[in-house]
Amino acid sequence: MITTNQKTLPSFTPLVSSLSLSPEGDLAAKLNLFLAHPHTTNTKLKPKCLNFQALTSISSYSYPQVKKMGIRFDLFLLSVAILWAPVLSDLVLSKVDRRIDLTSQSVRVTSTLKVENAGTNPVSEVLLAFPDHHAKNLAYLTAITNEGKGKTKGSTVSLPVEVVHPKGMPPALTWYSLSLLKELGKGESVTLDVVAIFTHTLRPFPEEITQAETQLVVFQDSAFYISPYVVKVQSLSVKLPEPKVESYTKLENTKISGSEIKYGPYENLPSFSYTPIAIHFESNKPFAVAQELVREIEISHWGNVQVTEHYNLIHGGAQSKGEFSRLDYQARPHVRGASAFRNLVAKLPPRAHSVYYRDEIGNISTSHLWGDSKKTQLEIEPRYPMFGGWRTSFTIGYGLPLQDFLFQSEGKRFLNISFGCPMNEVVIDNLIVKVVLPEGSGDISVSVPFPVKQWQEAKLSHLDLVGRPVVVLEKTNVVQEHDQHFQVHYKFNNLSLLREPLMLISGFFFLFVTCIIYMHADLTISKSSASYVAKLQWDEVQAAIQQVQNIINRCLTIHDKLEASLRDLSRTGDVQACKAARKAADSYLKELSKELKPLLAFLQSSPQAAQILPKVEDLIAKERELQERLMLKHSTVVDCYEKKLGGREIENRVSSIQQKVTALRQEVDDLLEIIDEI
Amino acid sequence: MAPSAKPISSPVPDAWYPTLAVFMLLIGLVVTASFFIYEATSSRRNRSLAKELTTGTVASVFLGFGSLFLLLSCGVYV
Repeated sequence: MITTNQKTLPSFTPLVSSLSLSPEGDLAAKLNLFLAHPHTTNTKLKPKCLNFQALTSISSYSYPQVKKMGIRFDLFLLSVAILWAPVLSDLVLSKVDRRIDLTSQSVRVTSTLKVENAGTNPVSEVLLAFPDHHAKNLAYLTAITNEGKGKTKGSTVSLPVEVVHPKGMPPALTWYSLSLLKELGKGESVTLDVVAIFTHTLRPFPEEITQAETQLVVFQDSAFYISPYVVKVQSLSVKLPEPKVESYTKLENTKISGSEIKYGPYENLPSFSYTPIAIHFESNKPFAVAQELVREIEISHWGNVQVTEHYNLIHGGAQSKGEFSRLDYQARPHVRGASAFRNLVAKLPPRAHSVYYRDEIGNISTSHLWGDSKKTQLEIEPRYPMFGGWRTSFTIGYGLPLQDFLFQSEGKRFLNISFGCPMNEVVIDNLIVKVVLPEGSGDISVSVPFPVKQWQEAKLSHLDLVGRPVVVLEKTNVVQEHDQHFQVHYKFNNLSLLREPLMLISGFFFLFVTCIIYMHADLTISKSSASYVAKLQWDEVQAAIQQVQNIINRCLTIHDKLEASLRDLSRTGDVQACKAARKAADSYLKELSKELKPLLAFLQSSPQAAQILPKVEDLIAKERELQERLMLKHSTVVDCYEKKLGGREIENRVSSIQQKVTALRQEVDDLLEIIDEI
Repeated sequence: MAPSAKPISSPVPDAWYPTLAVFMLLIGLVVTASFFIYEATSSRRNRSLAKELTTGTVASVFLGFGSLFLLLSCGVYV
């Protein structure tokens, strides 16, 4: 106690001296101010005595930072009391109700403010102040007002919040301005719910623990609501994860019941009232901090949204010291490893498929997946339990159906997907969201409900020519409340869908064209060598023989047609149709025999064909004979029909010819096969 | 979201991908086979370029779409 006083007292002297030597202002004027505002004098005196209480209670833990802060605030309050001219004092906070939730690693402060306009001028802005050392950890700030009364009650509207730097305000405070929806007239009041979330504000104390110890953390804040306005009635309640409190600052009107500590009510406190409090309590909630999380969302218009999340996770609580015994941990995980966390649960959207969980060395098998129509849950366990200061990095990925996330409106397409991490408990220091759009999309715009840093890049992936446009969004200090939907609008022509198949098709087509060129190209070096000439001639002979074969085959088809016409005749008795068929066949056969002549002449003249020529000639002769017989048969049958002879008579007459025809046809077919083999 | 927004889905239902892949690849391979048979059997003088090109085009269209659907059904969303 004595040491505290010794440390606190000297700090007053330089302040007083600096005040009297201050070159900017007239000292008399300052003193005037001092006297003119009784509230400010109050500020100076009342919290001061409370401060000493607070400091002494903390000093028993020899926690130097607390002391330092207390001193700094003394300084700052004194200067506030003197320098601050209460321009904004038109507003009065008639009731402030603060609830601080410490049940997780982030600090959630919900303040219900009843703002009243005590002045005459209408006011449209309310200022909120946070100490700098808290404000730098501020992750999320929102103000909600209940719009209207009676009928429309319950419809909540969030107010626009922005950082402001009002002039003449005391240092070491960060200011946020709330714009009210409608101006607050004289005597009117409005109720605001302000939610502020701070990360990395709970300090582990002691900073290093062994495996068997539980984790203790310290939370510091002001017992009074720091505000530029006069606060009439205020109270504060702090909710702890467990009813295990090492110590807490005792002020007047302090009550503790189970895991809740209540301060207040305090009445009629002037502006900038401040009294530090510190609560030292047990918290074994997972302190999972993702130092970096890269989420890659890749859209494929072929029906999939692929999400890949790369985590770089650390246990942000008290550092683990000493050795780690897996045996102890396995045997009694709640005693020997209370501060560690074993698993995390990711809430994925419904109908997520192809889920994987892996790291650099491969699949991690300790994961469970279950789901229903509303959600899919993925429980992942890192390769080892996470103790304070331990790190791990892993990747999870999943596919989502396209129609749940991609929509079309007014000629543009937009992706509507959640921004944050699917794991509730995790605080993210640096979140990078990359949205990979399909190749060929343009006119990209992004709408995110909170400020983010954004830029564009390109990514080369499967079957890409110029790369896919990627929208990159970066945000630091992300908590669960940031897991809101954001939209990426872009234009995309449906024809661009065909890029990928066209690429594959052109690949295959290139292969075929190469084959064709190879087969057509003549790669012989010496064009005059004997073997080459012989080969060329043989090619010609082969071509001629193929043509001959072709012609014979066509003749045989005509023969078949004639036979068919005879069959028709026997069925219908239509002699005219049969004659017409005969006529057509005759002319056609004549043409073919004309075509055959030059080929045969070429074969006869070519020395290369000497070997095969007899067969070809034989074939042609046989075919001609077959042709004659067939014609004979045809005319005989037609004759018989014209004479109206009976079926048996016709059969008798034709049977001998028919035998010949069948035999010849067989021979022709055999010859064709032989030539084919050559 | 805006009430006028209507969801976009894939031009071909996902469930068809494996079937489409099998059939288109089958047809593509058959046409490819006929192309190579033609190349190997017909003599250089009788070969018609038009026929070769048409067979090649048909085969590459079927093989191209077949391999696209094969990729899609394997989970490689291009």
